[in-house]
Parts: sequence; structure tokens; C-alpha cells
Amino acid sequence: MCECCSGHPDIYLPQMATITKRRMLNGTELFLHLEMDSGQDLRYKPGQFVEVSLAGIGEAPISISSSPTQKGLELVVRNVGSLTKAIHKLQVGDKLGIRGPYGTTYPIEEAKGKDLVFICGGIGLVPQRSFIRYALDHRNDYGKIIVLIGTKCYSMRLFREEIALWQERKDMTVLETIDEAHDCWDGNVGVVTTLIPKIENELPGSLVLICGPPIMYKFVLISLAEAQVPEENIYVNLERRMKCGVGKCGHCQINDKYVCQDGPVFRYSDLALVPEAI
Amino acid sequence: MSVLKFTPKQFDDFVSAMLKTGRPVMAPQAKNGRFAFGPLASPADLRLDYDVTILPPKKYVLPQVETLLEFEVCGPCRSVQEGQPMILLGVHPYDLTAILQMDELFRQGQYDKHYMDRRCQITIIALDVVTPSANVFASSMGTATVRSGYDILLTVLKDGSILADVATAKGQELIRLAGSVVPASEADLKARKDVWEHNNAALNKHILLCKPSLLPKILEQNYNHPVWEEKARLCYSCGSCNQVCPTCYCFDVQDRVNWDLKTGHRFRCWDGCLLENFATVAGNHNFRKDRAARYRHRLYRKGKYVPEKIGGQIACVGCGRCISACTAKIANPVEVYNRLLQDTKLG
Amino acid sequence: MSKPRVAIFDFACCEGCQLQIVNLEEEILDLIHVVDVVEWREAMSEQSHDYDIAIVEGSITRHEDELRLEVIRSRCKILIALGACATIGGVNKMKNNFDLNDVKECVYGKDAKMPHLNTDMTKAVDEVVPVDAYIHGCPIDRKEFGTVIRALLLGKRPPVPDYPVCVECKAKENVCRYEYNEICLGPIIRAGCGARCPSSNFRCFGCRGYVDHPNVEAAKEVMDKYGLTVEDLKQKMILFGSKQGHTL
Repeated sequence: MCECCSGHPDIYLPQMATITKRRMLNGTELFLHLEMDSGQDLRYKPGQFVEVSLAGIGEAPISISSSPTQKGLELVVRNVGSLTKAIHKLQVGDKLGIRGPYGTTYPIEEAKGKDLVFICGGIGLVPQRSFIRYALDHRNDYGKIIVLIGTKCYSMRLFREEIALWQERKDMTVLETIDEAHDCWDGNVGVVTTLIPKIENELPGSLVLICGPPIMYKFVLISLAEAQVPEENIYVNLERRMKCGVGKCGHCQINDKYVCQDGPVFRYSDLALVPEAI
Repeated sequence: MSVLKFTPKQFDDFVSAMLKTGRPVMAPQAKNGRFAFGPLASPADLRLDYDVTILPPKKYVLPQVETLLEFEVCGPCRSVQEGQPMILLGVHPYDLTAILQMDELFRQGQYDKHYMDRRCQITIIALDVVTPSANVFASSMGTATVRSGYDILLTVLKDGSILADVATAKGQELIRLAGSVVPASEADLKARKDVWEHNNAALNKHILLCKPSLLPKILEQNYNHPVWEEKARLCYSCGSCNQVCPTCYCFDVQDRVNWDLKTGHRFRCWDGCLLENFATVAGNHNFRKDRAARYRHRLYRKGKYVPEKIGGQIACVGCGRCISACTAKIANPVEVYNRLLQDTKLG
Repeated sequence: MSKPRVAIFDFACCEGCQLQIVNLEEEILDLIHVVDVVEWREAMSEQSHDYDIAIVEGSITRHEDELRLEVIRSRCKILIALGACATIGGVNKMKNNFDLNDVKECVYGKDAKMPHLNTDMTKAVDEVVPVDAYIHGCPIDRKEFGTVIRALLLGKRPPVPDYPVCVECKAKENVCRYEYNEICLGPIIRAGCGARCPSSNFRCFGCRGYVDHPNVEAAKEVMDKYGLTVEDLKQKMILFGSKQGHTL
């Protein structure tokens, strides 16, 4: 190897981590708690993602769901392809490869002293949970915490026990809705935007953080525009094909931005000239 | 450093001496009536008069398939560095410009050791263009000649003699194999300057009607121009324009296991943003599913996105390969950029 | 863990794709190291009803073959369509362009009405039963066969390209057949063969079937640019492209 390269690490080389807890959150979403085999915690911040690999099967970007205030790393893996299917078969004690953390973070510093409104659709709750937990662990640093959660159907709801605990807290507001009515559900029915009027008065001055399926952003952003939330106060967490995670492979590019480096968390006002974003 | 002058015979001897070192020498040779870079076996096969190669020499800095890691299935991985010493002989200035851009892209931000290590071990002997190709427009892009970035630069003069400008220690080390050649005279250097002046104007089969530095600005104003739809209507999404482009560097990463089902390797391979599923994520959502959006993305990357990332240099070097390679004949960047220019009011 | 049991079956075809498996040579030892081949008419005499993976070669041209295929499907966990006849119907589909009685008479003459020579419209395997994996080509590519089998054994979706042959043809540094004013099906045909035909100075015949969304409309206009006609193109597509959908 040449001299100038010998000092650099291999950015494509995963580090091994061991599964310490696993449970299904619903029929398709697997929750994993991991510890790095190196014994050192990944130094990540809320909003970032890791590249998860099972050598031989493949590698994919997965949002971090835990807060850096806790030990270990928590991920939620949806069973959608070969890799995630294989990950679903893993048990406690099995190993995964991890690269990262990568990408931008939620504005944890800038948000201090401000009210926070999280709007989460489906597995969009997964990365948002990182910042929600972080904010709860630094409760005095932040103003009001409002969480809106929309899920397609009753059986797909994530983190039910945790949400129930959040709902009991006096220092945060959690509103939940499901798209399709269900016998066991007496709460809100309708898409997540139907919750927005309920907290409309809280929106001015709040930082609004959005994460959900591609189709959701457009509708939520229209509602926020109607409520006159300035675009500088809105953050979106985008999903793309972050194949390499290090700004090289080109797959996650939206116009001139690399979601793996310039995102996944973007201030919405920074996306004015990025028509491919939303 | 120094400029030396070879007679054709002396140059052949120099090439033979390089071949004798055992280091692979990759050089342009005839292939089915066209030219391609390949391992050189004898100086007789070297074609310093080639017009353009089917694929650019990027295939040696970023191979079509490159192993990154070896692994135990579902177990730990080990880094693999495939790079080895190599001489890349006969690289045209536009292709060299593209390699230098790629160097920056793989170096900046997260340092890509696989690329950089391979690149560090390559000695580049550039070559001023002797025969312009049918679609070259390097003069328009300011890449018809180069003043740096090579280890040695060759210029073939009218009388058949070859000047070698040795620019780096790597070049110096290689030129020692040349034996006794004379330094170039003032007249030789003047002749070389004539070649440069000629090439700076003559490698221009398609003429860009503005300075390339204006392209980011022009593109900024034409995101919704009808040309994207008009051109892309005929696009096969075959990615030929990506494949032959010296500045395209997007790649996919895949794992392959051996027959023991216990070991395997992770490799990267060329990908292309024109291919239908380039931006498709697990679950089959395609974030760039329109042909026109993919077509536009390529020309924005060349004219705006990459230049903004690496500090100005337009990521189209005017080799004209995409123009030749596109079956539907819609890939000509000059045609599109000129069309946009015509419809743009520049303040 | 016991090895997965594999059975290989053939329907209407030339059996050339099975021959490619035989031709794996040393690799065939690797193959039987990781799977148990329990039925394979071309290579062994044993038969079995108990298998995990069925590899089906050939197209389906008779009602009784449909029934036989359904039984195979019901017995296996993974069904692989092997070769063009199985994946897209292959050259056998040419007959679907004609009246079946004419076809029979043309082939069998006065015996055309004999019951055992009865034949239906040709179907690809997935027109009869669900298919889990495709190994395209006429014949298949041995290397790709290995890649697909190993991927399946690991529970992985096999990496079958969804882009056109041009990608691999360019990678091979071939001169485009259109530059010789020849019609080549490469721009609309699924890659994976390594552009084998263009690399041997033939055009692409289209044996791997169309990419998911071929730009057929473009093909019509592009022919013009080379002084060729859609009729020329259609003719070239009859061999493997008959009745596949996407047809001009």
C-alpha cells in the first residue's frame, strides 16, 4: 500500500456489533438493541443513521432510534428485502456489521429553549424517537414537546408501551391517529395531518420535525404553510438509497445534495432549490 | 522539470524498457476499427495516433468491478486493497482532466482508500491528441491540453519525434529507462506550443456557445425547460452515456458468496444514474422514476452539481464519447447546453 | 443442517440449459457439495417427489404439462425458471403468432391430428405457476447459474439485472451494432449475459426478454435515425420477443 493511504481507515469496513435485545414491534418491524464489540459506544447524535450489514447478504442504511443519552444502539428494521429478512432471523447474541454514524443530526443545540413538534408517519417515528428521548433526557433544555403519530392501521403501531408512558407524562403531549378505523381503537382516525388542527396554536414559534413515508411530506408541509409556520422552523428527515453512506456512490443524491452527507435531516428552507427532495 | 526528445525508434525502445520492468503498461490499441485501452504487449501495438478510446482510462482508477472486502458469511469483514503498480500510457488531456477530478471526489470528505491507493500506484503518461475524434469538443470545455496532473506528457511533433515533459518524481524514475535521449531544443518547444495552440482550437466538433464556467448559472434557470422531456422521450435508459463517461463515478455495492457458502467478497461495480432503478429503495419506491428526470440529472451533475462540489471545474471534459455511444442520439451535452443558453437571459 | 434437495425438470425445450449445468465441470462438484440433487433426468436415473428446490427448464405447451408443473410447484418451496423457454417462453412462442392447426400441420403433416401430438399455445412457466427466481438466457450463463443458486441458498433475492444489455456491451468495449447499421435488441433486452452475442460480433437476439419498462416507443423513432424501419425491428423480435407484451 502506498504511504499516503496507510494512515487512513477503510470507510467501507464495518465494525461488528452484537444483538443484546430483540423484539417484534408489530408484524413487520423488528426492534434491535446492539452493543459494539469494540466496547466503545458509537458517537452518534439524534437523526443520524448507520449502514447495517450482514456479510454475504448485503448492506443498507438504517436510522438510529435510540438516544445517545442511553447505552448501546437501537435500530428498527422493517422486513422488506433480502437483507432485512435475514436480519429478522437473527437472535440475541448474533452479530451485525455497522458503519457510521453518518449524516446530519436534528438541531439539538438550536432547539434549546424552543417548543418542539414532532410529526411522525409510520416508521418515521423510528428516527424521531431518538430526538424525542434525547429531549426527554434533557427535559429542562427544551420547551413544550408535542408528538403527533400517524400509523396506517392499528396492528402496525410502533413502540406502544413507550407511547403509553409518554402519554402519561405531564411534560409532553402525544396525539396518535390511525388511518383505518379498528374495533380496538377509540382514538383519532385519519391521516396524521388531521391531528395538526388540534395543536395549531402551538405551531408558531415551535420547531417542527417531520419524518414519514414520501407521500406524507407534501401534505404535512401544506398544512404547516397554512398554519404559517416559517420554513426555517421546519426540519424533514428524508429517506433515499444511501448505498455507501459516505457521499461517493451517488445513489442518494437529490439535485446537488447527498442525503447521506447533507441529510438525512434537512432544514426545510434549505431545500427551496432542491425540487427532488419532497 | 525537463523536456526530452525521442526519435520514434528511441521511443519504441523506451516502451520496450517499460514493458521489461514487469509493471503492467495499459495503452491505447486498435480494437475492431476503434481504439481501446488494454495491456500492452509490444511497442508495435501502441497507437499514439488514436482518436478516442471506447471506454475512458477511468477503468484503471475505478475498475468496473472492484473488491472492497472479503468476509465470512454473516461474520467479520477484512479490507482488501487491490491496487498495484501500473503505467497508464497515452492518456489524452481531457481524460486526464477527468481522472484529476475523480481524484478530488474520492479524496475529499471521506477518504476512499480503495480508490486512492490504486491511484497512487499509477504512473500517468499523458499524450497530446494527434487525431481528433468525430465528436470531440474538448476545445469548448478547456480540456484540449493540460499543464499539470501528469507524470509525463508526450507530444508528437509533425516530424514524428516525440517530446516527453517529465513533471514528477514518478515520471523522473520512469524516464531513466529511456537511455540517452537529448533535451528538446527551443525549436522543439515552439513546435509543441503550436500543437497545443492547434488542439486548443481544433478539438471542437461541437461548439459550446458560451464559456463552460457559465453552465451552472444557465442550468440553475432551466430546471423545467422542455428540452429534458423532448430528449428523454427517446431515452432507452441503457446507461451507455454513463458507462463511457470519463467523469461518471457512481457505483453499486454487492456481496457475492463462494460455493462453500461460508466466505465471499463485497465489491463495487459501475452504476449509472440513467438506469431505471438507480434511485429505487427497498420496498420498491423509485425516487427518480421519470426518464426525463434521470436524463436531466446527468446533465446537471456534469454542468452544475459536481463543479460546485469540487470547486468550479465542469464535469464534462468534452471527450464526445456519450455522443457516439447513445443509440438514440440524444446524449450530446453541447446540443442541450446550447439550447438552454439560447433560452436564457443572463443578467 | 441437511442440504437442500434439488430436482431438475424439463418441458418443451432443447435441454441445452441443463447441458450448461452439466458443463459447469469442476463447479458441479461445488454444487453437489451444497445441495442434494434428487432428480435430474438428463444426468441420473433416480427420481423423487421430495425436494425443496425445483429447477424447471422449458416452456409449457400442453395441458398435461400444466398439470405436471402444478404438481412440481406444490412439492417445492422454491421454483426456478431455467433458460429462455422457461423464463419468457423462448423460441417456442413463435408458434403463438400462427393458427395452431396450421402449426401442427406444418410440423407433423398428415399426422397432425394424432392425439399425442396435440399442442396448445406456448406459455412461459410463470404464466402457469408462480416463479421465485429466473435464470435467463438461451442458453443460460453458467456463471449466473452459480450466482443465482448461491444467492437462493443464502435466502437472498438473486441479483438479476433490470437494465439493458448495452450496459454490459459498453463495459466490454464493443462497437455498437447500430454503428454498423445493424439492428440490435440490446437497448430493450435484460442484461446479465455479459453481452455475449455483441462481444462475438453478433447482434443481441433478445433471449433474456425485455427489461421491465423497455422504451418501445423510442425504438420506433430510433430506427428512422439509422435508415431502418420498425418492420425490420419487428422481424428481429419474432425469435424471442413473440407475444411477450411490450411488442411493437
